[in-house]
Amino acid sequence: MKARTIKRFLIQAALTVFLLYPGIGFCGSHFLKIGLSDEPKTLNIWLASDRWSLRVLSQIYQPLFTRDPESMEMIPWLAAQDPVYDEASISYTVTLRESKWSDGSEITAEDVAFTGNIIRDLKIPRHFSKWDFIKKIEVVDKKTVRFYLEEPMAIFADRTLTTPIVCKKEWEKIYQEIKKTDKPLVALLNYNIEKPVGNGPFTVREWKKGAYLFLEKNKHFFGLGQTIEGRVLGPFIDGVIYKFFGTSDTAILSLKKGDIDMFWWAIQAGYLDDLKTDKNIQLHFNDRSAMYYMGFNLRKPPFNDVNFRRAVAILIDKGFIISRILQDQGVKMDSVVPPGNKFWYSKQAPDYGEGLTQDERIKRAFQVLKDSGYSWEVPPVDGSGKVVKGKGVRLPNGQPMGSFSILTPPSDYDPQRAMTGLIIQEWLRAMGIPASGKPMAFDALVDQVKVNRDFDAFILAYGQLSIDPDWIRNFFHSKNDKVRGENQAGYRNPDFDRISDQSARMIDKNARRKLICDMQAIIKKDLPYIPLYLPKMIEAVRTDRFAGWVDALEGIGSIWSFCMLKPIGK
Amino acid sequence: MDIWHFTVRRLIQIIIIFFVIFTVLFLLFRLAPGDPISRIIDPDMTPEDATRLMAQMGLDKPLWMQYLYYLKNVLSGNFGHSFYYGKPVIEIISDRLPNTVLLFTTSVILSAIVGVFLGKIASWNKGKRTDTFMTMGALVTHTLFLPWMALILIWIFSYKFSWFPINGMISEDVWLDPSSGVVRKGLDVLHHMILPLSTLFLIYFGSYLLLMRSSMLETLKEDYILTARAKGLKEKTIRNHHAAPNAALPVVTSVGLSLAFSINGGALTETVFTWPGIGRELVFSVSNNDYPLAQASFLLIAAVVLFSNLLVDILYAYLDPRIRY
Repeated sequence: MKARTIKRFLIQAALTVFLLYPGIGFCGSHFLKIGLSDEPKTLNIWLASDRWSLRVLSQIYQPLFTRDPESMEMIPWLAAQDPVYDEASISYTVTLRESKWSDGSEITAEDVAFTGNIIRDLKIPRHFSKWDFIKKIEVVDKKTVRFYLEEPMAIFADRTLTTPIVCKKEWEKIYQEIKKTDKPLVALLNYNIEKPVGNGPFTVREWKKGAYLFLEKNKHFFGLGQTIEGRVLGPFIDGVIYKFFGTSDTAILSLKKGDIDMFWWAIQAGYLDDLKTDKNIQLHFNDRSAMYYMGFNLRKPPFNDVNFRRAVAILIDKGFIISRILQDQGVKMDSVVPPGNKFWYSKQAPDYGEGLTQDERIKRAFQVLKDSGYSWEVPPVDGSGKVVKGKGVRLPNGQPMGSFSILTPPSDYDPQRAMTGLIIQEWLRAMGIPASGKPMAFDALVDQVKVNRDFDAFILAYGQLSIDPDWIRNFFHSKNDKVRGENQAGYRNPDFDRISDQSARMIDKNARRKLICDMQAIIKKDLPYIPLYLPKMIEAVRTDRFAGWVDALEGIGSIWSFCMLKPIGK
Repeated sequence: MDIWHFTVRRLIQIIIIFFVIFTVLFLLFRLAPGDPISRIIDPDMTPEDATRLMAQMGLDKPLWMQYLYYLKNVLSGNFGHSFYYGKPVIEIISDRLPNTVLLFTTSVILSAIVGVFLGKIASWNKGKRTDTFMTMGALVTHTLFLPWMALILIWIFSYKFSWFPINGMISEDVWLDPSSGVVRKGLDVLHHMILPLSTLFLIYFGSYLLLMRSSMLETLKEDYILTARAKGLKEKTIRNHHAAPNAALPVVTSVGLSLAFSINGGALTETVFTWPGIGRELVFSVSNNDYPLAQASFLLIAAVVLFSNLLVDILYAYLDPRIRY
């Protein structure tokens, strides 16, 4: 009997230890644990295009200039001071501050020049467009580099100088190696790099594939103990451990349980009520630099008629979409520039249909279309001015309007966009306009819109737009109305082309702002896209281990947070 | 025809079928909407960038040329580099495959053993309370929606009771601790494996139970069972040595194929538990048009399924002396 009791006790003890032992294991002093919704695919900075890799890399590689989290102004980062522009030679001179790579070697002008030259030489996708107007990069001295431009380019300061700088010592060997191959660009992209030499606050310690990625504090980080723009920088934490989650459900449970300190992903509205009740969880609500929009194929009728597009814009009740579909976790967009981008955003006139009820919207849209020559079998507004169900709409040439599709991503990819498509369908049908919301596989949707140009209307989004709004030029310039070009709508307006070209070359920021405002006004008038809404960036963090998250446009996951976050009680 | 001739003939068939699968896979991916570049929605990716990249990847060449090039590479053992990882796809697959095999093969074997055992008991007690309970239990667990079941288990056992980790295959606390030895790390994997394994077991053991039960019920009607009883053999001997081995033949086929298919993992299980297996990679590569990774993964699955079929056929001849090729 005694032996049986001892045996039972031993089995129970073994089971308890087995079940609980991870809790008594490695207890890192101050390691921030972050949940990512997928594993980074690569740490090769030239290949990385997925957001998880880019997020991790943003802590390893730093640019010459970055943005202040409050003012969003460019401030020197690896650079010591603002770039000096010489109008005569169309050149910018940049002086570097004292800083080191994670291997302890000095960051020099050679590194900066090498970064630019490898991009220009290999025409590295996603970077080359920011460097192709550079004529020459001159290393003036160890800490000074001069960029000669083909012509003045406004994006140089905001986009080119925010390119992450790579270590020449590390990459030159690779560069020489890949230059000998038939396809050097592919060879560069396929180069496997596990522990890059970086210049950011953290450096890779260990990447256990499929499990975690451990970044430790870079003791050579230039910002350590420095005060930049009135902010004292660390990092004050010992490292960051990234953990990966296949679903938001398990990530949120891990956050609530304390397995992770932050889930670096936008929290869906459905989780908010639960998270708000947890005293250890803090929610951060920030604006995004993104655009969710409805686009038209201006290459065919009726979408080539600006009055038709205006009527559609009048019928779309953005307030309804925000309150019902986004559950009030978003803002209306009335310009292609997000309202959070304060310097460049321009609200010049009331939005289409602003302040109107649905019936009033129908009446106004009906008037616009009627005045443009459209007719109905059963008009949506009867003789007494009462709104009825419209039927049999005809184009100004008398032809019946053919049914058309509003393509959207499927609801498992983005329920909000899929639902918005269906709601817009109903608003248009109330006018007798034969529209159908058509959720379809994202790949097929992108292929139809971007490559085949085989679509009527669609709802898509740009998830992360740069603060500098040069992308407006990309989206609507007629030169980009080609396969894979960003001008998906096929919008062509010589005035817009001229002003946008002018804006691209305008160095004076205030004068450029005026041009950008003019561009926004033209787009608002011509409506190749109808900007719809902007979901809030909602992020959740635990409050029991670390404090000091810095709120900024696009959320708290900026370099500032990682440099300023402190362990509680430290 | 003896077993050797049969095997050689089947091997030739396998090569032909593999070649057909290879071709169909190649065409399916190329003809599906989208391409690897169109997924990169970034205003900084200019049309010129995309064209240049397509050319460097060889995707601008005519389809037949891409096919011949790919065929030549595969025949020389080069399955290409993943467009997203930038690594040879063989390296990615060999990273992930052992994790999938560990979880899914264990679950298939465990489910089969328990299912066969319980199926045997259920059939032996046909119509009794034991049979009803087991059959109902098997039907209920087998028809549960896997992600729902997985989330419920996670919520109860990981979140509420903290008995098991919420997700993943290893814990960073253990693996980053320099004092952790092999045993501790092994136990850590086992600890992480319990919940996904339990989910798979609960979902799959029922199918083996029901299969074994129905097969046993058919076998029990056979004359040799009657003969065994007439000889006065014990019921246990009849059940375990006469009925069960014969009834297990359909289960062997099912287990063989399940083992083969287990290498493609279960995208749902791997996603919910963030198990770093091949199933998640398959989903990622297909949804992002990572042709080399997706093709190589499917080819691997095809090869394993084809060879497993051959093995099952050979095993059949061994298990059932009546079967001769």
